[in-house]
Amino acid sequence: MNRRFALLIGLGALLAGRIAYAQEATIGYAGLPSKSTGESNTGIQIADGVLLHAGFGVEAGYDTNVFYSPTNTIGSSIFRFMPYAELTNATRTGPVSRELSFDVHAGVQYRHYGNSVVSNAGYADAWNPNAGLSLSLGGAQFGLGIADVFARVEEAPYANNVGTGGVPPTGVGIERNNNQASIEGRWSPGGGRLTTILRFTNMVNIYDQNSLQSYAFANAMTNTLMLDVAWKWLPKTAIFLNVSQSFVDYLNDAAATMNQLASSYPLYVTTGLRGLLTEKTAAVLTLGYVNAFYSDGTSTSGFLGSTYLDLAFTVRPTQLSRVAVGYRHDFINAVISNFAYEETVYASYVQQIAGRLALDLSGRYAYLSYQGETGDPTQQGRVDNYFQIGATLDYFLRNWAYLGVGYSLLDNRSNKPNDEYLKQQVFARLGVTY
Amino acid sequence: MVKTKLLLATIFMGGTVFAQGPAPEAPPAPGSPPGNQAGSSVDLSVKQRPTLTPADMVNQSKEYFTGMGGVVKRIQTLQDQAKREKDIIRLNCVTDKLVQARVNVNIAEQSMATMQESIARNDEGEQTHEFTRLTIVNQKVTVLGAEAENCIGEDLSFVGATRVDVEVDPNIPQYDPTQPGSPFIDITRPPSASPID
Repeated sequence: MNRRFALLIGLGALLAGRIAYAQEATIGYAGLPSKSTGESNTGIQIADGVLLHAGFGVEAGYDTNVFYSPTNTIGSSIFRFMPYAELTNATRTGPVSRELSFDVHAGVQYRHYGNSVVSNAGYADAWNPNAGLSLSLGGAQFGLGIADVFARVEEAPYANNVGTGGVPPTGVGIERNNNQASIEGRWSPGGGRLTTILRFTNMVNIYDQNSLQSYAFANAMTNTLMLDVAWKWLPKTAIFLNVSQSFVDYLNDAAATMNQLASSYPLYVTTGLRGLLTEKTAAVLTLGYVNAFYSDGTSTSGFLGSTYLDLAFTVRPTQLSRVAVGYRHDFINAVISNFAYEETVYASYVQQIAGRLALDLSGRYAYLSYQGETGDPTQQGRVDNYFQIGATLDYFLRNWAYLGVGYSLLDNRSNKPNDEYLKQQVFARLGVTY
Repeated sequence: MVKTKLLLATIFMGGTVFAQGPAPEAPPAPGSPPGNQAGSSVDLSVKQRPTLTPADMVNQSKEYFTGMGGVVKRIQTLQDQAKREKDIIRLNCVTDKLVQARVNVNIAEQSMATMQESIARNDEGEQTHEFTRLTIVNQKVTVLGAEAENCIGEDLSFVGATRVDVEVDPNIPQYDPTQPGSPFIDITRPPSASPID
């Protein structure tokens, strides 16, 4: 993969806000990276087979709607700075061993709003740390992988419900801690045509209990067991069967019940095709059965409610460009009711120009229909039409340093006027990813 | 009828007699010198006396040296070419020819020196001997040059170890797109809510 594309679609966008992933494309504004691109010709070799990557990103710009308000919007200058460090066992010539690979990284994002109205409300500064590690063992037939990712995100709250004059009261920020650990075993007997992956994932999602508007009632632990069997009928194309069973438990049952949230046991049984359709076109075509199995209240039902559909296409018209489009029909676990049906379409276009410029354009539309009882009766029957656009244009001074500009748009059109907002951000940015 | 047959037989017999040449001479007795053969006009001895003058020999030898120098240069060119092409088989062959050619040139130089000395001494036998040596060496160098040229064909007859070259379209991604995606951490901003406490 081209290094600049890798940089643009890397994992580093974790803290940039609402990012959706479509196969290998990042939808929405691609923020500052929090880890290196995985290239072996950067980094400092600190021991045999151990490379230290380090970098930072700086963004400065303007946010038109800090508090996601439908009216009385508060705009502010915004500044973000994110240093990071990463250790891998890659060498200058590639991975040191196919049998063992590891990656450990940590970073922190500092965000500052310059408007005094924002700072007086107590939301000027935020520290968002993140860390992760991954370890992979094994050979061609058997393999074991362990991974853990942690992120804390502190965001300015919504002003629509509890604020006055477009400014929420002090100390009601959305502070979220998320940790996800996973372990998987891989088995590919014979020549590797048949691949089986058994993966267990544990995710803990904790909101800080800091105010009336806290989402702490939705604190939850999700355990997921997944079995994926894929048969490659071509070297880069496979048909698969995937079975996934999750267990979603709210950690504070009383608060969750009061807000109409119930534990659930989502089951997915899907099949389809993954891989290349042609040399330039890759696809993920998935169709299957889904049932949320909520323990109380409304659950997924009917033909559409029991159907999962994911169609994703990635086309590389040239070696310097990539187009991704997709559609997904699914449901998501929600915090204002048990769940919402979600219809999503998205598109992404990445183009490298003259070997130095990298352009990334993407957009997404999501239709969210919240189902069942809501904790707040005024939210009953809520339907959101969520639009998201992201654009970046970066000039690479070196393969590890770039200057660029970025634009982000978040627009929510809802049948609940209080929940509508339009938020735009523009940035000038500088990044070093050595 | 009888007369006719007799006439024909007489004609044939007469013809046969006339067609025969003179009878061969009896071989000389063992030990008798050739010159003593009465009536012998054929000289069957090997000529030891050169037909070239000493000056001609020297000039001819110089031409030999010019030719041999050209052959050695040509083999060196072939050697450099083989080095550039990293053709080890051909390089070994050409180098072998070059070494042999140089040894022969050295021999020729020695013969040339000896011949010039013998000319100075007016030693006709020595002159002839060294000139003959030079001629033979020159022929050997010429043959080596031809063999060096033929080294080109040796790599064609050498198949070598089987090698499989796989060309992958650069558009094809290096990662395995058939694998399920890794779980990603969900930090999507939650929708606005007015929770009940």
